[in-house]
Amino acid sequence: MTVGTRNRQRPRGPRPTRGYRIFQAVNGVILTVVVIVTLYPFVNIVARSLSEEHYIVAGQVSLIPRGFNLETYRLVLSDSIFWTNYRNTVVYTVVATLISIVLTTCYAYVLSKKQLKGRTALVGIAVFTMFFSGGLIPNYVLITSLGLRNSILAIVLPNAINVFNLLVMKAFFESLPVELEEAAAVDGLSTYGILLRIVMPLSKAVIATMVLFYAVSFWNSWFAAFLYLDRADLFPVTIYLRNLIAGATGATSAGAAADGLTQAAASIQSVTIVLTVIPILLVYPFIQRYFVSGVMLGAVKG
Amino acid sequence: MFPRSRRRAAAVAAVVLTLALTVSGCDSGNDSSDANDLSGNRAGAMADFGVGTQFKATEPLSFSILHLNNANYPEKKDWLFWSELTKRTGVTLQPTDVPGSDYEKKRSLIVGSGDAPFIIPKTYPGSETPFVASGAILPVSDYIDLMPNLKDKIAKWNLQADMDSLRQENGKYYLLPGVHQDVWVDYSLAVRTDILDKLHLQIPKTWDQLHDVLKAMKAAYPTVYPFTGRWNIPQAGGSLLSTMGQAYGTNAGWSYQNATWDATAQKFVFTGAMDQYKQMLQELNTFVKEGLIDPESFTQSDEVAQQKLASGKAFVIPSNAQSLVNEYRPALAKTIPSAKLVKIPVPSGPAGEVKVGSRLENGIMISKKARDSKNFVAMMQFIDWLWYSDAGEEFAKWGVEGTTYTKDAAGKRTLTPDVNVVGLNPKGTKLLQKDFGFFNGVFAYGGSTELLESFFSPEEQEFQKAMAAKKTLAVPPPFPFNSEEREQATLWETPLKDYVTQMSLQFILGKRDLSEWDAYVAELKGKKMDSYMDLVNKAYERYKSDHS
Repeated sequence: MTVGTRNRQRPRGPRPTRGYRIFQAVNGVILTVVVIVTLYPFVNIVARSLSEEHYIVAGQVSLIPRGFNLETYRLVLSDSIFWTNYRNTVVYTVVATLISIVLTTCYAYVLSKKQLKGRTALVGIAVFTMFFSGGLIPNYVLITSLGLRNSILAIVLPNAINVFNLLVMKAFFESLPVELEEAAAVDGLSTYGILLRIVMPLSKAVIATMVLFYAVSFWNSWFAAFLYLDRADLFPVTIYLRNLIAGATGATSAGAAADGLTQAAASIQSVTIVLTVIPILLVYPFIQRYFVSGVMLGAVKG
Repeated sequence: MFPRSRRRAAAVAAVVLTLALTVSGCDSGNDSSDANDLSGNRAGAMADFGVGTQFKATEPLSFSILHLNNANYPEKKDWLFWSELTKRTGVTLQPTDVPGSDYEKKRSLIVGSGDAPFIIPKTYPGSETPFVASGAILPVSDYIDLMPNLKDKIAKWNLQADMDSLRQENGKYYLLPGVHQDVWVDYSLAVRTDILDKLHLQIPKTWDQLHDVLKAMKAAYPTVYPFTGRWNIPQAGGSLLSTMGQAYGTNAGWSYQNATWDATAQKFVFTGAMDQYKQMLQELNTFVKEGLIDPESFTQSDEVAQQKLASGKAFVIPSNAQSLVNEYRPALAKTIPSAKLVKIPVPSGPAGEVKVGSRLENGIMISKKARDSKNFVAMMQFIDWLWYSDAGEEFAKWGVEGTTYTKDAAGKRTLTPDVNVVGLNPKGTKLLQKDFGFFNGVFAYGGSTELLESFFSPEEQEFQKAMAAKKTLAVPPPFPFNSEEREQATLWETPLKDYVTQMSLQFILGKRDLSEWDAYVAELKGKKMDSYMDLVNKAYERYKSDHS
């Protein structure tokens, strides 16, 4: 017996050409630069949140905390208003994302059906709102006269459907083969059955993407809350943060600084920023794999 | 196309719809007849309310108020301020919370949509003007008789000319300003006195002396720009130019207004073209040429400026009392322990030993809807007591005697041992603002000099004493526009101001030579400077003839 014709490990696929390797190298360099540029501010903020105030003011904190202490974390985390606002943000985001996804999916699915009567008009209405809007005061008057002031509905309802997301989902649904649904209909499924049992499982990627888009957008939103909420215990944490950071520099008159409206400590600002960003950071890795995985799991059989 | 009657009906409907869409009723006219008939509005009011009386409503009342939520002392429902206020006056306030970062925007929105609370505080003089035309706020000058404490202070402190500066074209004013007994100058320059000592220099009292001090500092530390600037938002060079403008007899920086009153010529002149303004720019240009002032002074962020000071890369920086104690000194204590920083009295210049500022402070607008409330008179009395009476001002600032402060026989107030505010009692564990709700910028402003200074450190009181020795300039007369003039003026004012700001920076930094001054004035003329000044002077003449 021939002993050991070891199969050498061969790289799969054809050997990369020289041009391709140069491209990979340049690509790598550019992307590394982008990573450093985008990562640096974040590392800087984290470093600041762990440093002592005067080092920050003296400009000596860049990537590594100086005067390491968790005092500011303790201070911010013991502020009950911070926790109330944080809880508000979580509640608003979850509720709003849920409502948005349900509404957007329904509208997009319906619009993707070519045989829908008045389809052009319905699409037109949605697109119209991308370009024109009532303006600040009419919107405010509308929401307050509906009695939605100081209620969660003022946050989750007005911006429930983002038209851009709607159009993306519609395009996706249109790309699903009609034969699939026809086959399901032949098997006896109702419209809702088709939507829930055939279309949805195939749309995991796009739904996950939309959930992420909506969730991040609602997590970061502050303007709707600022407009329609009048009680400090209903504010989301973004307003709390904005007040900390912009509250002092918003002074329009010289006298404002004198009544204590001086800048909140830089360390408190950075701690609040880090605490606000962490949940989104944690969610991203789990959603990310949906972007990458394949879409078409089943196919038209037979 | 449509029969005549249909078209007319449609036209009428369109007009009605437009009017209905105009949210707050434009009702500028019949105030004078309504103003006198208060018989239906006296529920809860005191019959004998006067100066020195404690306001107590005859029945429990509640009023809505717009409340600016300051990040440094976020509003709490259980503040002693709220409960004690109700106990003393019988009034419960219902605050609408607005984050301090966007207060003006929310206020405009709420007032513009007709949904405003009755009491709208934290309104700076001049910022009530946009709301006048819409009729959303009350011409409070009609109701000043309901406010004995305010009238008393206006008379006692001679504030008539200051109040006149708030009058609109119809002769009425729409803002109840915070009033100070005396001009309160807070902003000046802070200087490293340990460096002065090292170089055997005196604290400069004039800009010329400051020039010499800076030159000596530069000679000793050639790699450093001794003078750096901060507070460049919303106006580049805001604080620095404002402080310097005082010395040169002009308005600059964040005190900039297009029209300056020229007392000798008895008319208004354009600030950006004044000789005094040019002199000021020239002086700063010399500083830049000699490397005495940091060229980034007028554009850098506050953070960068503070870093330069804390790391010893600057020795002179604009300052007020708070930033000296809360920002500069703590940072320097850790980085350069031997440093000593002192806020110097505003250096004087060609204009002499003058003190420039207004005695009017941010104040209160009243929503038009409040006038129809049956508790209107009680509300005015309440406002008068809390914001303008001695007892109310002391309460809003110091709190409750026995709990937050004590008063000795001579009337001097001291904080109780466990209460701290603005660093006066570092051993205190509870904060007057954060935990009790007193000294809140919404309620505690203005007042007698004695009350104002009661919170000042001994060092700040020295500063104020030095400033008090300077002469206060007379208040310039008003020039209220009517609505067409206001429209026209608004079109011209902003481009003029922006151009002056832009060119000022260029002249200072040497990007444009001061020999081109006449060309610059010609460019201003091209931007309608003369037309604007004509408008201003015409409005002033009209006001003078109508109201003298």
